[in-house]
Amino acid sequence: MKKHVYYLSLIVLLFCGFTSKAQKITVAVAANVQYVVEELIPIFKMETGIDVDIVVGSSGKLTAQIAEGAPFDVFVSADMKYPNELYHKGLATVPAKEYAQGKLVLWTNTHGIQPTSDLKILLQGSIVKVAVANPKTAPYGEAAEQAMKYYKVYNQVKDKLVYGESIGQTQQFINTKAAEIGFIAKSQVLTDEMMGKGFWIEIDKKSYAPLMQGAVILKHGKATNAYAAKHFFEFLYTKEARTIFKKYGYIVSEKND
Amino acid sequence: MIDLQPFWITFQLALITTALLFVIAIPLAYWLAHSKSKFKSIIETLVSMPLVLPPSVLGFYFLVAFGPSHGLGQFIEHYFNTRLVFSFGGLVVASVIYSLPFMVHPIQSGFSGLSPYLKEASYSLGKSRMDTLRHVLLPNIKASLLTGIVLTFAHTIGEFGVVLMIGGNIPGQTRVASIAIYDEVEAMNYHSANVYAGILFAVTFVILLTVYFVNHRYAITKRL
Repeated sequence: MKKHVYYLSLIVLLFCGFTSKAQKITVAVAANVQYVVEELIPIFKMETGIDVDIVVGSSGKLTAQIAEGAPFDVFVSADMKYPNELYHKGLATVPAKEYAQGKLVLWTNTHGIQPTSDLKILLQGSIVKVAVANPKTAPYGEAAEQAMKYYKVYNQVKDKLVYGESIGQTQQFINTKAAEIGFIAKSQVLTDEMMGKGFWIEIDKKSYAPLMQGAVILKHGKATNAYAAKHFFEFLYTKEARTIFKKYGYIVSEKND
Repeated sequence: MIDLQPFWITFQLALITTALLFVIAIPLAYWLAHSKSKFKSIIETLVSMPLVLPPSVLGFYFLVAFGPSHGLGQFIEHYFNTRLVFSFGGLVVASVIYSLPFMVHPIQSGFSGLSPYLKEASYSLGKSRMDTLRHVLLPNIKASLLTGIVLTFAHTIGEFGVVLMIGGNIPGQTRVASIAIYDEVEAMNYHSANVYAGILFAVTFVILLTVYFVNHRYAITKRL
């Protein structure tokens, strides 16, 4: 009996040792920023020794998960609305702070299609399916809908639309050519894998509401990993991080130095 | 207001899938139950694969195969002028494959459970194989047929992963009830999600209850 207690306490001690030593946080990341965050993680780890796990999804889906108690420490959203919603519910410790502004692009991976900025290309018969992210949960999907309405093609294109559950699945629909063309984030066409693949054109910013993207520290993060979570959150606004955001086509404001 | 369209699509899909599978599964199950071919094991394995494969594996294969840039998708688009990804037709094809074992297995075990004398007696009375199947064998495995039909129907209603990957969530075409629930939960409309989920729960409960009830009655009448 005594022996058991001894071993048990040894195991418990071991676990305690692990958890206090290796700092690790979990960050919920909107699909469009995953490439940036993936590039930020090694730099952050080098500077602070903190490990970061990421969970990727549409902002709406992640928000719903956080509202139901998902153990995420920081939330990097694709808009301001979802993180602010969490803040008002008391699930985030600060109001959403903008880290970058995203850009919408029209991308095709199908040979012989040349995207046009007036979106008239979408009306062509050769385009059977147009992929967009689900506007209910993905801010880039909402922006795509606004742009189509702005250029007055929405009603004709409506029946061609297919909805990805996040901007990531939307990209996959176009990439596999299951849809001839679609709207995704500029950051997605600037990744190493997508460089030079197909054609893309930036959609005029005046045609959709600005894609202001904000992040928050979550209640769970403050309660369990206060230091690491705050550190990562602040890291998003450093000069180093801004350079990487710019590399992926985001607009970052220079004032918050 | 609750949109009931996803349910109509779900039930249409389940109905068409079940009808198609019924026609496909009877000869297939008959062959599997009686054949001594060396390919039997391979075919049996293939039929059972959808039971164990994650729906995402099937979904991924369908997405690539049905897409217009690959052989099969191109062929279908060229000759039938339709595209299987993001369409109701595609969901039907995917469901038929996905639910195949649910129809074949019960019917196959039904055939296997029949005494060989039954068939031989019918043959010696001069009935053809087709007549024997229709008038002797099938009426004797009614319970298995019913199980196959109901399981297939219910399983198609419960389909989610495959549809999520190849459906594209198009209202009125590929937004089935299970996807609609997922969508409403994501958008934090818990009320609609609740209503949808409640309806599905009730419907599947009634369907399964009917099967167990009817099968039980069959068992009793058989014993008498």
